[in-house]
Amino acid sequence: MNNLLIGLIIVGATYVIYLAAKNIHKKVAISFTAPVITSTIIIVAILLSFEISYETYMIGGKWINELLGPAVVALAYPLYRERDVLKRLTVPILIGTTVGAVVGISTGILLARFAGFEDLLIYSLTPKSVTTPVAMAIAETIGGVTSLAAVFVMIAGIGGVLFSSLVYKIFRIDHRIGRGVGIGSASHAIGTSKALESSMVEGSISTIAMVVSAVVVSVITPGLIAVLM
Amino acid sequence: MLNVCKIIIHIAILYCIYLFGNWIQTALGLFVPGSVIGMVILFILLSTNLIKVSWVENGARFIVDNLALFFVPATVGVMNYFDLFAGKGFLLVVIVLFSTLLVMASSGITSQWIMHREEREHE
Repeated sequence: MNNLLIGLIIVGATYVIYLAAKNIHKKVAISFTAPVITSTIIIVAILLSFEISYETYMIGGKWINELLGPAVVALAYPLYRERDVLKRLTVPILIGTTVGAVVGISTGILLARFAGFEDLLIYSLTPKSVTTPVAMAIAETIGGVTSLAAVFVMIAGIGGVLFSSLVYKIFRIDHRIGRGVGIGSASHAIGTSKALESSMVEGSISTIAMVVSAVVVSVITPGLIAVLM
Repeated sequence: MLNVCKIIIHIAILYCIYLFGNWIQTALGLFVPGSVIGMVILFILLSTNLIKVSWVENGARFIVDNLALFFVPATVGVMNYFDLFAGKGFLLVVIVLFSTLLVMASSGITSQWIMHREEREHE
């Protein structure tokens, strides 16, 4: 079989598995069934049981990977749609996400360093608070592992959703804007879908916070690494 | 079929903006990923009406609605790193989780505090 055929089969199979995972998530709408998690588990299980290497899978996988760049560019669209809210709330959203970005990057680096993890792992978990395609791009520029970065992003997403009510309660975050900025900055798209369940306002604030924090984290990460590493 | 064509053309436009972002990154020697630069450029172009939202809308919506599909191949790569999570790896999960809750608390408190202050000023 030539590579073109293998590639096509892999792209097709990945798409079908993704659609199935999306359907599962519709029926069991909890954050643990996020399509990326189910799809990844199914594909890894198939590859391991047929003893297919990741490198073989990537013959087709790299075609999908190629679209990660435009996928990040496309995030300007949801931000543009919320531009009126963004204009009205520029100050609280921008300052809130920036504070969150600094806290997230520094505590991630410092705790991991303190625990004695190697640099490769530290750089992979540094961008954990931002949406996956951006986190992978950042991890790549600073010398982390993109697929590990994606796993840490998932942990931040699901963990944030699971503990959000507790955090709101302990820190008395009861304002819709505080909650939207908090969950969007910490738990990106997974958090945003949770915020959308609470209210439209919280959802749009969370969307804005997610995209803004992606930009802020990519800008300040190299500087903070220079200081903290 | 028309919609599929639109999606493909729109994604091609997004891809060109991504390449332009990459070019800026290399030309200026920036650390910010080219894709993020591209995102900021698209937002500016849309806000200033230099690009009509209808030129990218279908493609952007398709991508955003199916965002997870585009990084599945990358997350599958975790299969090469299973041994990293054995043993001390659990500690990494705890660190990521703890740091995430700090992000949520600090950003939430900050924006809420600013909101309360603004609301008081308006009264």
